[in-house]
Amino acid sequence: MRYFNVMILGPTQSPYEGGVFKLELFLPEEYPMAAPKVRFLTKIYHPNIDKLGRICLDILKDKWSPALQIRTVLLSIQALLSAPNPDDPLSDNIAKHWKANEAEAVETAKEWTRVYASGA
Amino acid sequence: MMVRPAYNPYQHHHYYGNQGNGWVGMRPFQPLPPQPPPPFVDHQSAKKIRNDVNVQKDSIRVEVDGENSECHVVSFTLDAMVDGSITIFYFAKEGADHKFSPLYPDAHTPVKLQFQKGLGQKILQPSGTGIDLNFFAVDDLSKPSTGEDIFPLVIVAEAGSETLLTEEQVNQHPPTSNAQITQAVLEKNSAGCFQVKVIKQILSVDGVRYELREIYGIGNSDKESFDDNDPGKECVICMSEPKDTAILPCRHMCICSECAKELRLQTNKCPICRQPIEELIGIKVTNSSQ
Repeated sequence: MRYFNVMILGPTQSPYEGGVFKLELFLPEEYPMAAPKVRFLTKIYHPNIDKLGRICLDILKDKWSPALQIRTVLLSIQALLSAPNPDDPLSDNIAKHWKANEAEAVETAKEWTRVYASGA
Repeated sequence: MMVRPAYNPYQHHHYYGNQGNGWVGMRPFQPLPPQPPPPFVDHQSAKKIRNDVNVQKDSIRVEVDGENSECHVVSFTLDAMVDGSITIFYFAKEGADHKFSPLYPDAHTPVKLQFQKGLGQKILQPSGTGIDLNFFAVDDLSKPSTGEDIFPLVIVAEAGSETLLTEEQVNQHPPTSNAQITQAVLEKNSAGCFQVKVIKQILSVDGVRYELREIYGIGNSDKESFDDNDPGKECVICMSEPKDTAILPCRHMCICSECAKELRLQTNKCPICRQPIEELIGIKVTNSSQ
């Protein structure tokens, strides 16, 4: 059992609040010595997540530690939703939008959450 | 707590095994070798050293002498497997022979107390042998002197009572020595009372000195009471075996020996703090008191 379908809730007080986001999580052969591969399946408007759902998060790359677990990885992803970091973007356009007009970008993120992550 | 030699003889052999053959100067155009091999990581077992006397680090207090409110006396809890003696020094300087001597003998004469074996005994410096701390600047009391290793408070606990031996006896059975040295500073808290802060504890066994340092996570690692449902005792990597290996220099005891082997091949970083691993030490924790 190496492949998981995951659902995480958008954190409260974030543009993703109320959303239910589907992800796929794959544990490679080397896990836990190597990081799990995680990808959003639900479309999400976030500067550190690209349109293929790939996530820019250090603990999934060079900062992986074998002491981390599926639970802590998902917590980190939830935290990333609460604290977008447009200075280290994966989606250039979304990051530019975020830096140029954060209020408007947040509105777009809320809109995407309503449209794509309603849980239906 | 565990001990390791303060001066590790192996530490200097980890790197650069092939240097020093004199070729570097002879062949200036030889390109540098591509990459030094990854540092060899020792995986060794902890050596057990018995300390006969232990001043409990967190139990040390300085309090106002009941009979002389200008002076302070020291109190602490002591574990002693044998009889022995305690010496309390203020501003003690360590000589080359590892004997301590007071820097200001006029201000305070070191106090030597005899004790009998017993665990958890409360030691209180006798009234009248205390020190007038107001004599010193708070700044001097709150830090060790730089370079010279003079600590405001030094407690030396020595195992064994002093008996005079003939030269012949000494030759046949050289006396073993077992002492614990606690070096501390005194800080004033917000209420204006002095508090003891231990900087270093050293164990001296037959002339070899070991610095006592805590291992993080050793407290909940003993095998006998290992319980599958207690996450604190499991190796953080496999989460099934009890942890039995500590990582140096960060002192995180968090993995089992099998995962330690694997970790050496995969990465050289501590899973808890990501500091590079220099040594792995297997520690068998048993709860049996000897």
